[in-house]
Amino acid sequence: MTVSNNTLAVEVMRAPKLKPANATFGIAIGVISVMTLAAIFAPFIAPYPPDQLDFAAVNAPPSPEHWLGTDGLGRDLLSRLIFGARTALLGPLLVVIGSTVVGMLLGLIAGWRGGWIDAVLGRIFDVLFAFPSLLLAIMAVALFGKGLVAPVIAMSIAYAPFVARLTRALIKAERTRPYVAAYRVQGFSGPWIALRRVLPNVTPIVGAQSTLNFGYVLAELAGLSFLGLGVQPPTPDWGAMINEAQAGIVGGHFLPALEPAVCVVLVVVAFNIIGEELSDRIGGEIPA
Amino acid sequence: MSLLDISDLTLDLPNGTRLLDGISLGVEAGETVGLVGESGSGKSLTARTVLGLTPDGSALGGRVLVDGRDLVAAGRRDVLDVRRHAAAMIFQDPRAGINPMRTIGDHMTETLRLCEGKSESEARARAIELLTAVRLPRPEDHLKQYPHEFSGGMLQRVMIAGALTSSPKLLVCDEPTTALDVTTQAEIIRVLVEQRASRGMGMLFITHDLNLAASICDRVVVMNKGRVEETGDARRVFSAPQADYTKRLVAATPTVTGSAGPVIEIRDASAPATSPVDAPGGDAAGPVPEPVAAPTPLERPDEASAITVAAAPADDEPILAVAGVSKTYHLRGKPPVHAVASTDLRLARGRALAVVGESGSGKSTLARMIVGLEEPDTGEIRVAGRDRTIVPKSRQERIAHARSVQMVFQDPYLSLDPRITAGRAIEDALRLHTELSTTGARARVVELLEQVGLGAQHAQARPRTLSGGQRQRVAIARALAIEPDVLVMDEATSALDVSVQAQVLDLVARIREERGLTLLFISHDLAVVRRVCEETVVMRYGEIVERGSTVELLAAPQHPYTQLLIDSVPKPEWAPEPRRAEASA
Repeated sequence: MTVSNNTLAVEVMRAPKLKPANATFGIAIGVISVMTLAAIFAPFIAPYPPDQLDFAAVNAPPSPEHWLGTDGLGRDLLSRLIFGARTALLGPLLVVIGSTVVGMLLGLIAGWRGGWIDAVLGRIFDVLFAFPSLLLAIMAVALFGKGLVAPVIAMSIAYAPFVARLTRALIKAERTRPYVAAYRVQGFSGPWIALRRVLPNVTPIVGAQSTLNFGYVLAELAGLSFLGLGVQPPTPDWGAMINEAQAGIVGGHFLPALEPAVCVVLVVVAFNIIGEELSDRIGGEIPA
Repeated sequence: MSLLDISDLTLDLPNGTRLLDGISLGVEAGETVGLVGESGSGKSLTARTVLGLTPDGSALGGRVLVDGRDLVAAGRRDVLDVRRHAAAMIFQDPRAGINPMRTIGDHMTETLRLCEGKSESEARARAIELLTAVRLPRPEDHLKQYPHEFSGGMLQRVMIAGALTSSPKLLVCDEPTTALDVTTQAEIIRVLVEQRASRGMGMLFITHDLNLAASICDRVVVMNKGRVEETGDARRVFSAPQADYTKRLVAATPTVTGSAGPVIEIRDASAPATSPVDAPGGDAAGPVPEPVAAPTPLERPDEASAITVAAAPADDEPILAVAGVSKTYHLRGKPPVHAVASTDLRLARGRALAVVGESGSGKSTLARMIVGLEEPDTGEIRVAGRDRTIVPKSRQERIAHARSVQMVFQDPYLSLDPRITAGRAIEDALRLHTELSTTGARARVVELLEQVGLGAQHAQARPRTLSGGQRQRVAIARALAIEPDVLVMDEATSALDVSVQAQVLDLVARIREERGLTLLFISHDLAVVRRVCEETVVMRYGEIVERGSTVELLAAPQHPYTQLLIDSVPKPEWAPEPRRAEASA
């Protein structure tokens, strides 16, 4: 009897086993880590201040002084990309956090309570789905002025219904499970079960889906900056950099536009890989 | 030459796990061979190799001769040929095994048209003939119907008819009646036995139910963990088992006949210190609950005479009183379903009452109303004098409600929160219901775990690392933590293997002994009920058709439905007629 007990204890201890990481996932994590570190420590690692002009080297090709070349005003592109990562990553991060928090709470209320609350919230989501998120962001800019704040709030609202709809479906499936009935029979209150027990059980799946949103939001915010409605020059921002470099493309200087574009693509692809891998690993079925 | 001859069959997964180890068995034409064992014993896997349905990438060894052809060495063409002409299989869940988008006619005729090149009308005639053979009432109409229009039992007949289209010499049945009610099971078995006899087929019948195997098989093969434990004549194996494992299995299997008492004694006497049943993979529960020293409930002399039939006027207030309770479900576009219709129950403190019925009898709805998960439409439920039908509003009311009744659910895999460790689940309940400090609660958790035969080391375990039996023990400990007046067990052992079930039933008997727990035991299984409860009520279509002491009810059922239920329970051909079994058991 003691023997079988001991073997079990050992099994219990080594139970959580990570699946072997696959190479693509590792590279994606690497890309995001490098970008994040660069953004955080930008002042220490950027070779030049992002706004320092060098009229001796305008539209210069890559060289030992300027590894990735310079733009039309002679600013070091590498430094601008590093500083640009700050707004590029911060914006989507805030949107993902904002939309996840708001969306999960609304989804929890709709899925747990059901009935007319669910119906009303569902119609509100439908209305929000009808507006493209970029359009909402542009409206917010028109109302509250340019910069990062207004688009971030607008996009948080635009993305919240996606999170809410997923959370609602998961909660609805979860609340019919016997373990929830078991909590009820034990005398726990509904809000306690919903917030402390059921919500944490759906969080990993919702979190993995939100990671996927990160890439889309980043691309859309960069688009907004490109249109001149987001982060304003001279603050370095990838979208704004592409905008500023437009004129140069005609003159044959495509690098200043290509480099920030590549950065956007890298981050978006990396986040999609991470998001999908996380969804697979968590193994939650995404209900329609 | 025998129809099926498996010798030294081994099956290894790509990662090196050996799932089958040296299996040898044979089936002759016209013979039924039972393949019995608990979950994970490899019985289904063995049967599947007969039709070449092995897991991807697995390596086979040994020999599987089907009608003279070796399937281990066979190419695709040979395997197809065996499936088309030599052997056919019937699966456990008929609803999962049949295409829901196609009609029954499509299902029945496609094999004939595609494999044997028969014409539409020939195939149709043959299909009607087969559907008639499995005793479906209106074969011609059924051809145009879809699977969702059929009940589980009817669909299983369709599956049998479908398997017979290729006129197989060998029929492999993988738990064909496990998902069905006992009365339906009896009908399906009748059809299978009839068809086997009239066609002279060989049958390999896989089941976990020893009584069922004993009732239809000529010979049985007992499997455990990928090995054959014992092979032999069915009567010999079940009445005089040789292998230790078979002895324990036979002892753990509850029956509706004979005496309930000695069963437990045999089990304890034959159980070595580390039994394979207790090892990981089976129920890794570790300590088996102490042998039940006290006589089983049925044998207690003071209660043998105190048969308080539920309707009889009780001297004192019963702890659970259900009066005139009804519940009707109104489904859109369908006639209303009367799940429970004006039902009365009375249960005295310290006693155990069984509610027996088949699926749809309303027994679970009744249980859910008693614990407060459903509200009755009419009627009154009182536990220890308190009305339970009102919805609790304040925190005090909610806690008082929970203290009066607790429930152990059917499926221990679903009734525990997957994220919460066993210890935490019990601690949560303790904190809600007691004023214990953190250390006090932790100590109590260990105490409770030990009481249900687990240990302190299980407190840190999440449900997925525990076996089914262990999970059900945790669920019981969690319910006991609240110290309820009444414990409701809703099919609490039906998802468990027989040996694990026996342990859990022993545990329940012991806790009743120690604590004087009042028990309401919901079950479809008359044999299990017999081991646990003094009194039984039988439900059908939401109504109680019979009530009385379990012993009397099993020995001399009055209502025709109770008689049908008892007659449907499979029993060995050599067993005595149940109704003639001594009532003094």
